[in-house]
Amino acid sequence: MDLFIQVLLSGLSVGAIYAIVALGFGVIFNATGAINFVQGEYVMVGGLSAAMLYEAWDVPIFVAILVAIAVTTVLGLLTEMGLLGFGRLRTPAAITIATIAIAVIVKGAAMLISVRDTYALPSVLGSESLQILGASTSRQTILNLVLAVLVVIALTLFFRRTKLGTTLRAAAGDSETLQTFGVSYRTTARWAFVIAAALGAVAGAGLAPLTVMSFDSGTLLGLKGFAAAMLGGLGNPQGALAGGLLLGVAEAVVAGYGTSAYADVVAFVVLLAILTFKPTGMFGTARAVRT
Amino acid sequence: MRKKILALLAGSALLASSACGLGSSGAGGGDDTITIGTLFSVSGAGAKLGDKMRKGAELAVEKVNSQGGIDGKKIKWVFYDPAGDTSTAVQQTNRMLDSDGVELVVGGGGSSGIALAMDPITSGKGITFIATEGARQIVEPAAEHRLTFKTTFNDTVMIEKLIEYWKAKDVTRVAFMPDTSSFGQSAQEELERLAPEAGIKVFTAAFDPAANDLTPQVKRLAGNDPQAYLAWTIQPSGVTFLKNVRSVLADRDVMVMHGFGFVDDRYMQQAGAAAEGTILVSPKLPIWDKTEDSDQQKAAMEDFATSYAEKYAGEQPNVYAGQAYDAMMVAVEALRATGGDPDGEKVAKAIEGLGSHVGVTGVFKFTPDDHSGLTADDVAVVQWDGSRFVPAE
Repeated sequence: MDLFIQVLLSGLSVGAIYAIVALGFGVIFNATGAINFVQGEYVMVGGLSAAMLYEAWDVPIFVAILVAIAVTTVLGLLTEMGLLGFGRLRTPAAITIATIAIAVIVKGAAMLISVRDTYALPSVLGSESLQILGASTSRQTILNLVLAVLVVIALTLFFRRTKLGTTLRAAAGDSETLQTFGVSYRTTARWAFVIAAALGAVAGAGLAPLTVMSFDSGTLLGLKGFAAAMLGGLGNPQGALAGGLLLGVAEAVVAGYGTSAYADVVAFVVLLAILTFKPTGMFGTARAVRT
Repeated sequence: MRKKILALLAGSALLASSACGLGSSGAGGGDDTITIGTLFSVSGAGAKLGDKMRKGAELAVEKVNSQGGIDGKKIKWVFYDPAGDTSTAVQQTNRMLDSDGVELVVGGGGSSGIALAMDPITSGKGITFIATEGARQIVEPAAEHRLTFKTTFNDTVMIEKLIEYWKAKDVTRVAFMPDTSSFGQSAQEELERLAPEAGIKVFTAAFDPAANDLTPQVKRLAGNDPQAYLAWTIQPSGVTFLKNVRSVLADRDVMVMHGFGFVDDRYMQQAGAAAEGTILVSPKLPIWDKTEDSDQQKAAMEDFATSYAEKYAGEQPNVYAGQAYDAMMVAVEALRATGGDPDGEKVAKAIEGLGSHVGVTGVFKFTPDDHSGLTADDVAVVQWDGSRFVPAE
């Protein structure tokens, strides 16, 4: 029983991060129809820059996190400028492929700036662990879960209740018609990248206290976030949350009860299964873009 | 800030140079130089370690050249960065030997897989290869690797030392957490082979080196009530291991341990309070200033640690830097013995005939049957006291 609770806590802890990454994929997919493979690198940049600011430059922790989110948001803006401005890309397939190139560039730049070193960021809630029903977890786990839920609520409200959110959803539905109403494609895309990058940075700042960050921390996380997004239905905020938590728990179950060596494969088996049997995800409808 | 910018510039210069190869291509060698080729992954996943290795080797080359070279011949150093990719490394190795005129290879890309792939190429061309990577298979069996050596510990040696330590501390039940890389899996093989003979029971749970939470594995192993928890990895997830063990076992008094791949000040500092008291098997380098004056390595370690810190702006060398430095120095000593003749057969004979080579990570005694040269006597058990490594009690 203790082991089960431990597995569950571990899964939720990592799953909350997957969920926030998955949300970032969804936002950009909704606005452009593309898969943004820089999403994982946003997590790395957010976590690494917060940790570097804190550890190497002695910046207070809250300031470090805020600056990291700002830095990553600027990176999101630059991604959009590179893809749609400088690159003049408009089709989802072209944008998706170009994001892979940008991800490689971001990772390389981070390697040079961090001088290949690892950096740590303590939890804002302190390092003592929490004991829950015979299992133990860090306080950061609870914070990450709360963050994931808050982000989902905020995004849902944003997409349904605000003018900008509605515009973004409309762009996903039919961007050409929207443009005849005088809404520029780039404006909607720019907002999507800014939001996705900020989400990535939040995930990074939430992840850093659980481990240490390096320039290499983002890529695999991006793929797992993508698997979580597909699992829940790409573009659906509640689906992203469910997909992320489910994937995290599935990995923890394999690590705790099965051969831990295969825990990492779980995400990709899930991704394959979903793509084969239900490409729209658990909560996706025929057009996964509807929220 | 200025340091960071400098490092950045150095980094970009390095990238540029690795793309085109440092040395100009051509026949190389010649009468007044000896061309030594090196591969380390200073980019890619293992970049952190590769960077240390490159610095260690660079320090050795500069030192030898500033002291007049090898019998008057200067070392011409050719460096490539395979970025952790084996097929790139194979191309670069061929290029070094075919067009850069490399006469001796030191350093196997910073990963055992790369070193294993380089060995048939260098051997096939009759070139001596001194690897700085860990896997036993790089040099074993020695009869099939006559021209290939390595300056790293076999994990067998490390595990013998661990078992010796556990016996002295009456530890009979051990929880073992290797990562799923070849580094971790090879150690698992050796520990599960050697521990039962010593009457030690081992409970194993492997983990993915990219994992962000290891509490399920720790909790599961705790069910067996082990006295010691040992992780075997070189990846940052070793920090997560320390945090998770201390959190899950907060109410238990257990021995928390890491293998020699995790002897790194930065990692320990980043684990914070969770790292305090961690016990590791390691070469003596991190505790060189705490060794007896009679220790035959002391002078070499002191010289290395001070000149490294001087050259790299106060940065402390780690074991990886030491291994690369030792590999280069073994090559230099052997070349001195052959009178500067880089012929593969002659250099290999010379390495086997060096007797005791006092290095910074151990006293190497290469023989025709042992191309690793280090024994359990070269291993120290160290402990992290919260601010630095000290000899373990």
